[in-house]
Amino acid sequence: MTEKRGSAHWAALGWVAGVLALLLALPLLTAGRLPDRVATHWDAVSGRPDGSMPLWAAAVFPALIWAVVAAVVAAAHMWRGPATAWGGTVLLSMGVTLAGAQAAIVRANMDHARWRDADSVTPWVVGALVAGAAAGAAGALTARRRTPGAARPTDPPRMDVPPDRRVVWLASTSNPWLHALAAVAGAVALVALVLTACGATDPLWPLIVPFALVAVASAACASVQVLVTENGLRVAFGPLGWPARRWRPADIESAHAERRTPAQVGGWGYRLSGLGTTVMLRAGGCLVIRAKGRNFAVSVDDAERGAALLNRLSQQAANTP
Amino acid sequence: MLLTLDTADTRPLHEQVAGAIRRAIAEGECAAGDRLPPARELSRALGVNSNTVLRGLRSLRDEGLLEFRRGRGVTVAQGAARRSVLVDRVRDLVAEAARFGYAKADLIEMIRVVP
Repeated sequence: MTEKRGSAHWAALGWVAGVLALLLALPLLTAGRLPDRVATHWDAVSGRPDGSMPLWAAAVFPALIWAVVAAVVAAAHMWRGPATAWGGTVLLSMGVTLAGAQAAIVRANMDHARWRDADSVTPWVVGALVAGAAAGAAGALTARRRTPGAARPTDPPRMDVPPDRRVVWLASTSNPWLHALAAVAGAVALVALVLTACGATDPLWPLIVPFALVAVASAACASVQVLVTENGLRVAFGPLGWPARRWRPADIESAHAERRTPAQVGGWGYRLSGLGTTVMLRAGGCLVIRAKGRNFAVSVDDAERGAALLNRLSQQAANTP
Repeated sequence: MLLTLDTADTRPLHEQVAGAIRRAIAEGECAAGDRLPPARELSRALGVNSNTVLRGLRSLRDEGLLEFRRGRGVTVAQGAARRSVLVDRVRDLVAEAARFGYAKADLIEMIRVVP
């Protein structure tokens, strides 16, 4: 285990150093074919360069961003331990994006005497962003696949239910900050929508759409209802109880309760990390299940008894053919 | 909270729902001031219609175990745990009296003359 973690650390270190070298080397090695000042910013609409930096700054600036990202990820790992698996995802996607952007800048400036003559970078930057997102997604998926199976306790909690009794377990969690965020974002979107509808201003779609999305997403993640019945586990999101995820008792391999913090899983809301999927609304006890080879956790009070009942139900499902 | 239902119970469903919640309160599953899960969630959990759940909740409110508050949902009343134990015993008493042919009015009269 330690050996594996060690090799992961070395891989991360190598990746950080490699990207750093690439960011610095790309402009410096091609300095002979670049103008003294290189274009580093482009107008989004016309695609013409509208900002520049001296060559050395263009080499150092992205490297500095990269160094800060790497330092933040490293610091998070030192404080919170190896459970912060989102670090790998961040390093992968940021590294690919930064390297791609740097390559785009160098290519656009190459063989031009003045920075104002530089080519457009739009397709390259879009490509770099897509590649970065893809690399991040691949990293997250790999981390999820590697979900540690050994993390579950050897002695899962179990509950005795008399044969003539039906026992169900209900619990819910809500996060007032996410509720407030949803309310504020929703209010901003609504005001912008009303202004647009009245014709008081130019259409404010760039304001309405993202704020409305934030409002809906944070409202959906602000509260969860967890239900354990003989039909299995049901985790319902948001005030409407929709969307919801379900697991049948037969699909659940084991369940236990565990303490988790937002720092471990990469924040609040619906998180994918090295620990599997976590619905994180507050630090503290979480109901963790392992089903179909994957881990799913939801932060909820009284998780021990929920887990005990789930174990009982899945055992029952395994015994009845 | 953990809710327990007796599968052999033949009482009307709304009474069974009320009974399960009454027992949960008596056993300290939910403390005074706690909010009960929404009726929709309870109906899904117990596998009964949400109108049946609401009927059960209303009868618990009439017993003084629950409080319905606008915007706060349904909460457990102060002292509900002790009260629910007492209410349970009164119900048993009424049932037993009925078996011996005594009406509620007779019971009330008996209680009145108890010093």
